[in-house]
Amino acid sequence: MSRREEILKTAEKLRWDLGERVHDHTVEALHAEASRIAGKVIAVSGEKPAFNYERILDALVTNRWTGFPIMFLVLAVVFWITIEGANVPSSFLAWILLDTVHPALNQFGGAVGMPWWINGFLFDGVYLAMAWVVSVMLPPMAIFFPLFTLAEDFGYLPRVAFNLDSLFRKAGAHGKQALTMAMGYGCNAAAIVSTRIIDSPRERLIAILTNNFAICNGRWPTLILIATIFIGALAPPSLSSAVSSVAVVTVVVIGIVMTFVVSWGLSKTILKGEASFFSLELPPYRPPRIWQTLYTSVIDRTLIVLWRAVVWSVPAGGVIWLVSNIYIGDSSLAEHAVHSFDPVAFLFGLNGVILLAYIIAIPANEIVIPTVLMLTVLVTGMTELGSGAGVMFELESELATAHVLKAGGWTLLTGINLMLFSLLHNPCSTTLYTIYKETGSAKWTTLAALIPLAIAFLVCFVVTQLWALL
Amino acid sequence: MTKRLQPEQCELCPVNPKAKLTRLGMDAGKFDHVVAVAGNPNVGKSTVFNNLTGLKQHTGNWPGKTVVRAEGGFSFAGKGFKLIDLPGTYSLLSASADEEVARDFILFGQPDVTVVIVDATRLERNMNLVLQVLEITDRAVVCLNLMDEAARHGIRVDARTLMRELGVPVVPATARSGEGMVELLQSIHDVASGAFVCRPKRSWSEQGDVRKAVDALAEKLRDAFPGLSNVRWVALRLLEGDDRIAEAVRTGELTVVGSQALTKETEDVAA
Amino acid sequence: MTFSWEIAALSVAAGTLIFLVLNRRRRRHIELIEDALKHLYNCEYTKVSCTLESLSGALGYGREQAAAVVSELTRSKFITLEGSELKLTSSGREYALKVIRVHRLWERHLADETMVQEVDWHKQAEAKEHSLKQEQVSELSRRLGHPVYDPHGDPIPGADGSIPAVRGIPLQTFNKNAVVTITHVEDEPTSVYAQLVQRGLYPGMNLRVLDKLSDSLVIQKEGIVFEIPLIVAANVRAVPEQRKKDTGPQKTLATLRPGEEGIVSGISHGCRGLQRRRLMDLGIVPGTTVGAVMTSVSGDPTAYRIRGGVIALRKEQAEMVFLQ
Repeated sequence: MSRREEILKTAEKLRWDLGERVHDHTVEALHAEASRIAGKVIAVSGEKPAFNYERILDALVTNRWTGFPIMFLVLAVVFWITIEGANVPSSFLAWILLDTVHPALNQFGGAVGMPWWINGFLFDGVYLAMAWVVSVMLPPMAIFFPLFTLAEDFGYLPRVAFNLDSLFRKAGAHGKQALTMAMGYGCNAAAIVSTRIIDSPRERLIAILTNNFAICNGRWPTLILIATIFIGALAPPSLSSAVSSVAVVTVVVIGIVMTFVVSWGLSKTILKGEASFFSLELPPYRPPRIWQTLYTSVIDRTLIVLWRAVVWSVPAGGVIWLVSNIYIGDSSLAEHAVHSFDPVAFLFGLNGVILLAYIIAIPANEIVIPTVLMLTVLVTGMTELGSGAGVMFELESELATAHVLKAGGWTLLTGINLMLFSLLHNPCSTTLYTIYKETGSAKWTTLAALIPLAIAFLVCFVVTQLWALL
Repeated sequence: MTKRLQPEQCELCPVNPKAKLTRLGMDAGKFDHVVAVAGNPNVGKSTVFNNLTGLKQHTGNWPGKTVVRAEGGFSFAGKGFKLIDLPGTYSLLSASADEEVARDFILFGQPDVTVVIVDATRLERNMNLVLQVLEITDRAVVCLNLMDEAARHGIRVDARTLMRELGVPVVPATARSGEGMVELLQSIHDVASGAFVCRPKRSWSEQGDVRKAVDALAEKLRDAFPGLSNVRWVALRLLEGDDRIAEAVRTGELTVVGSQALTKETEDVAA
Repeated sequence: MTFSWEIAALSVAAGTLIFLVLNRRRRRHIELIEDALKHLYNCEYTKVSCTLESLSGALGYGREQAAAVVSELTRSKFITLEGSELKLTSSGREYALKVIRVHRLWERHLADETMVQEVDWHKQAEAKEHSLKQEQVSELSRRLGHPVYDPHGDPIPGADGSIPAVRGIPLQTFNKNAVVTITHVEDEPTSVYAQLVQRGLYPGMNLRVLDKLSDSLVIQKEGIVFEIPLIVAANVRAVPEQRKKDTGPQKTLATLRPGEEGIVSGISHGCRGLQRRRLMDLGIVPGTTVGAVMTSVSGDPTAYRIRGGVIALRKEQAEMVFLQ
């Protein structure tokens, strides 16, 4: 036997004798040495600074009475700045991309004598979907993410996770899921990436699979619009905006409850055996560097997600236009689809238009309502509205939108179910793609799509059947 | 944005080492030396990395944020350096994927220099990784980052003593303001070029029967691989059932992972 | 002759069905053989003699089935008969060790890399041991760092079939006041194992035998005193502990209030795998000074200052960390 083989044999024998102790002993010895060296080279000056703002801050943010109010205040400020701040650039972008460039492109197509179908496919389909996603998605994300990152860099967010952990622990989840959820209210795809901060495999999967119940930027407008049209309208005009706000908040709360229920269910069933570990480092507070943060969060988070959304919206735009313009017999593919979906959709208190819209607008929730409107006009033949088959549009006034939807056969029940479906249904394809990228697993990606989808249909079904009974 | 390296007016004077620095960003096509950057999570590793390469990787006050393993480059004193940002880890011993990547790169990727970034405010915790890196490689530089934070908390770190204790260059720095970066560059350069020869101390050892086992095995290893500088570490890895190391022993490749002084195995296949 | 799609489809379906049934039979057959070999090996390892009766009893085979298995094993030269005693041949032993290796590696995997409950380990490993391919086994072993013992303290045979001698003696053979280290916790039968799990007995743990009664032992473990029946104690092996070990009541990290400090004396053996490694990586090892810094709004988790960093741990984790 060569000397080298003999060494390996000896090692094997020693391993039987020592058993499991080697690792523990090594770690202990290393830490002991680290302590020794640290003790030699570190000198802590006796006098503490008179005013230790870190300790005071920590005492405040983890205090029983002030902890949660501070957290709600910070979140409220972040959301308020996002919503208020995004209005202006959003309408500006919409004006440029949708109201100026889009007609210009159409005109250009006409001027150079493009066949109508190339013109339609490229500009009304592909371009419009892309422009829509950009104008709705970009401004809030460009504001929300840097704010979020600033709170993160300052060191506040780890304290939020610290405070909320006991709540999440009861659902089998990790306190940091509070942060990935908050991120989800901006964009689910970005939130999926942010689940990297959860280092325990099981809790990270839970955070990924339930993130969908945080209503993203693309779904807020849908909820607000439908709540205003169908629920706010029930109340007298003076109260209608308050009533519709309550309706939207109710949906948000249902989403939070679902997050906990599904998290708990997952941790008790399919994720039961996954490895799990809790640790949460509370880094010292550090003054954030504002410009650096702005730059990197725009690059790292906003643009990456936006790019993915754009890539996905391109084929979707094409498909949306094509299904509305390819005819079989007398009616378009879209009409055929809507009519064949209708009977099934009615079981769930929805309609064929909604189902088709959710299928073809899967890349981004932002374009669901424009697609719904376009399809409704197409199916009902209200050709005086919109700009033609396959061209998504939105109406200035809620009244006009209500008029179109009611003409499409929508009732209060349809409105409620759409809100629930919007909250609960599968994540958009951008998010699913991100989930696939992050987990590297087709299984988890499929579950991430099917679990919410099944819940969405189930809830809508139950609501519809109860409605019929009452 | 903060100025990184201070005396801008003297950018081109030959006495200013910054004149010798060209940040190459991602464009590190040709290089003479490979430098690995290791460190615990949340110690400003990415800040140092960005500072040296001019890239703008996201950094933050939160562990586990580095988005992708980044590579970048810079050129200093006429030499091209390629920088590899390793995943932030607390240890190289547990079997997590991140730790395996970091360990295998330092061990088998054979960087010319491994820079370990440590948080001066939490030196004791960070020292664990430093000690482990020094077991694997001789050629390392320790960058004591966040010296400003440490000062703010009334913590003084004696870099000289630390250097004596470890046997490798120790550079105090505040990466966010660019302080110490020039010295860091110089140390990296010196270690890479051989102008500074590291002599890691490796004075720690285990207790009890584990120690006896390591001693016995180290003895045999010393016989088979004379000149191998980190025998005890290799012995320990064998006792922990480390496949890659066992394989390196079997094939004699151990000489490569051993040290900068190439060891020749004296005896091949004897009865 | 005209081609009929229906007949074609039917024959494909029938063919598939026959294949599936045969394949299932074949697999079931292999399982029978492998289980028998495993049982015979265990007899040999623990130096008990094994007969056709004991085989059929232990594995729940009918007498006829057991006889068929035995005759097949003899034909394949895996065993020989010495009188009524069944003995493994060297090729039989080799085969048995391969199966045992998979079983124990898989248990190690379940213990270290998953949160599967202790009582389910054995069953899952029973299923895996017949189906894992050789390459998968070596990959698994590599990934786990070539463990030498399974979570019950049974040695895992090497790829070359090497295996050390039994460690330790049955717990009930120790005298009063003996301090011992558990080396092995038998996982069969499940009902007995469940009691041991419930008591939190793991290999590596220190116990003190406080008293020996006629049909039970009084044991002290980590400060907790309890009684276990002798038949249950017979499923635990241990070695006497030379060094002084404290089995008395121990203060845990969870008892620290903000502002208080303590020095770590160890981590409970009930904390294993990823959990244990991470805690140690954080610097929670004997000798480390840990101070409680603050509790969260609801009182759990608590943040501790550990080696310069501030780390939040949940109460159930802090209870696993013992203080001096």
